[in-house]
Amino acid sequence: MRRRLAVGLILVGVLLIPSWVPGAAAPAQDTLVYVNDISDMISLDPAVVYEFSGVLVAQNIYDTLVAFEGEDLTTLKPRLATSWKIQDSGASWKVTFKLRPGVKFSTGRPVTAKAVAFSIDRVIALNKSPAFLFKDVAGLKEGNAKAVGDDTVEVTLPKTASPQAFLSVMTFTVGGIVDPDEAMAHQTGTDRGEGWLRNHSAGTGAYTLERWDPETRAILVANPNYWGTKPKISRVVIQHVPETSTQKFMVSSGDADIAANLTSEQARELASSQNVKIQQGRLLQLVYIGMNAKHPPLDKVQVREAIRWSIDYNGIIKSLLRGEARKVQTIVPEGLFGFNASAPFQQDTARAKALLKEAGIGSGFSVELLVPTGPAPGGVKWSDLAAKIQSDLAKTGIKVQIKETAQAQLLNVYRAQKGQLVLILWGPDFPDPDGNVTPFTDYDAKTIAWRNQYQDAGVAKLAKQAALATDLAQRRALYKQITDKVLHSGPYVVLYQPTTRFALRKSVQGFVWNPMAFAEFRTVSK
Amino acid sequence: MSRYLLGRIASTGLVLLGVSVLTFFIAHIVPADPVLAALGQHAREEQIQAYRRAYGLDRPVVMQYVVYMGRLMRGDFGVSIRTRRPVAEDLREFLPATLELGGAAWLVALALGIPAGILSAIFKDRIFDHLSRIAALIGASMPVFWLGLLLLGYFYFRLRWLPGPGRLDITLSPPPERTGLLLVDALLARDATALVNGLRHLVLPAVTLGLFSTAVVARMTRSAMLEVLLQDYIRTAKAKGLPVPRVLLVHAFRNAMIPTLTIIGISFGSLLSGAVLTETVFAWPGLGRYATTSAISLDFPAVMGVTIVAAVVYSIINLIMDLLYVRLDPRVRYD
Repeated sequence: MRRRLAVGLILVGVLLIPSWVPGAAAPAQDTLVYVNDISDMISLDPAVVYEFSGVLVAQNIYDTLVAFEGEDLTTLKPRLATSWKIQDSGASWKVTFKLRPGVKFSTGRPVTAKAVAFSIDRVIALNKSPAFLFKDVAGLKEGNAKAVGDDTVEVTLPKTASPQAFLSVMTFTVGGIVDPDEAMAHQTGTDRGEGWLRNHSAGTGAYTLERWDPETRAILVANPNYWGTKPKISRVVIQHVPETSTQKFMVSSGDADIAANLTSEQARELASSQNVKIQQGRLLQLVYIGMNAKHPPLDKVQVREAIRWSIDYNGIIKSLLRGEARKVQTIVPEGLFGFNASAPFQQDTARAKALLKEAGIGSGFSVELLVPTGPAPGGVKWSDLAAKIQSDLAKTGIKVQIKETAQAQLLNVYRAQKGQLVLILWGPDFPDPDGNVTPFTDYDAKTIAWRNQYQDAGVAKLAKQAALATDLAQRRALYKQITDKVLHSGPYVVLYQPTTRFALRKSVQGFVWNPMAFAEFRTVSK
Repeated sequence: MSRYLLGRIASTGLVLLGVSVLTFFIAHIVPADPVLAALGQHAREEQIQAYRRAYGLDRPVVMQYVVYMGRLMRGDFGVSIRTRRPVAEDLREFLPATLELGGAAWLVALALGIPAGILSAIFKDRIFDHLSRIAALIGASMPVFWLGLLLLGYFYFRLRWLPGPGRLDITLSPPPERTGLLLVDALLARDATALVNGLRHLVLPAVTLGLFSTAVVARMTRSAMLEVLLQDYIRTAKAKGLPVPRVLLVHAFRNAMIPTLTIIGISFGSLLSGAVLTETVFAWPGLGRYATTSAISLDFPAVMGVTIVAAVVYSIINLIMDLLYVRLDPRVRYD
């Protein structure tokens, strides 16, 4: 009995009151702890990964041929390719990449043109989530990427695909180059190493994957064979912490260096902290209202313009979002090539009423607004945003009935062209203006323009022309023309472009959020 | 006894069948499309159709159920729509963490609830009883989520007595995985650092999760003890001059345990459901989080898998409780 009591007391002592034992060891100087909800991480294979947390890891363990660095998504930079060129070869486009000499995979094997062709073919053959970027956006088939010698890769694109969009796609994880020998050495069945690469790495990035425990953490360690400047942080722990209050505790106490998704209130509380700083990150999403252009009276351009003049954009950004968004009103988000800064609309009730009168419905009208449930980007609830829009439109005489529904259900209605007003967001699949302009303008693409029954053959033709343009000045001019036109005649009210926020220990330097939803840890120090 | 056991196993089979039917059909009448939830708004019609075919979602619901049950009989839980892995693999990965947390919370509930209940009964209507009743009320009504944050904020962030979220410190490597139960794996690997660190990480989530059940167990033990203490055999035992602790612990408590056992069994079910929130606050990689994320993503195979496993665990616990009745009360016979 006494013995049991003693064991019990020792146990309690070990567990409960060892105030002399620190709660947790703070991360070492060369270790960076990044906390976020990483429950969406399902694979780290570049041919499979398409989720936010997975992309964050994969972008750090696999290099691409070309890259957008930091926040800049307008200028392609060399990465594993030192140069590239686009050639019009009549029936197709030829994009030729010259590889950087002397680069090795983390496995020690050299990077060759064959490895690049293998990696592209592998994505197409496995046909997982991101494969559409190669198959549909770039129109690639297996065998379209060919090694021409050891250091040159030639990719043949059909004439219908945009070479610029292809280059943008190649900056994303799907363009990550994999060591073919390592992948095939771990092949099961015909999976080209997919099962193994789910939680192992075989790339050329600044880091390699040490381990990944689902819903727990992913640990990256510096790649000893990295061709570039050695990263200052040799170990990165991406820790799964779903609850933002817990994230706040961790970054405040120094157990974490970066907390990725605090609420705006928590960020404001931490902004005055001595040890923590808040940093904004740009996103490429646009929050907008789609207006069904065939649903009366939304079929009248004046009515759609009246709605655009009714909304208090500044109030939404300043009061509801507390400044965590940018006022963007065109269909290409800020940060992408072809962004048009024109933002003429502000709340002008008199002007909106006059437009309604001009349309012959001066007494106003009733309309239904479909709204998703849950939080909208920028830290506000969709329902709160909808209530603000309802109150703004009421001032013009437009009576809005809000219908809140789960996003998957809302999409059923929207896709069936049965929405009247739909409050929703859009983010491009790849960092090229075509990722927004075609969906917003081309009815035949059966996405956003289709859902809002917006058919303007002239704009759709311009969008195709812009997508295929290889001359950047001409391309920029075409996008200016398109975005200006859609701004007034299109069936969209672009409300804002949200930003995201990070809480960082003040010692953390060099952290830059790429709007394609990742950061390169090789630039970070602490 | 063996006939009883066979009967119970058969009835458990029926319960599982009922659970599978209910979950499957409820999941399919939810007015939302799992394909759109998985593919998002960018997906085109042909992608959607291909996805439906790949996951058998283009067949009639009854047919989907028959196919599902056929596979389940062979131990195949299907493939998760969200993680794209066999659900059985996911369950193997996440179940041990929840069992470890639930087990620890259960121990907390028993270690605090039973003594509190006994003392409350002995000191009925005195200060301890009143305090214990207030504490039980607070314990039973306090939201798990809020309690978790409160404990974390105080013991981890402010006092630094106990570690933060997760099963181990970020700086430690887990022991080689054999059972998935971290403490057992640490013992098997003779890794004392991981064992102590793992135990310390378990304290706050186990207390958070166990407090609700502590209150329930304490109240049940108290009322059962009060009833037993009025019985003739207790008066007889006292009259015979037996020492009071012996009367209370051997004669009274043993009999009071019979109704309490039922509550203890049921409380494990509430622990499994409470684990969802506790696991969120403490970043615990368990089945609760997996179930929530799967439900939000309309990942039907995963939701089915979790429900069936939870029902199996619950049935086993209840069977064990029923068998314990026999041990506690010789009058109980199942033959």
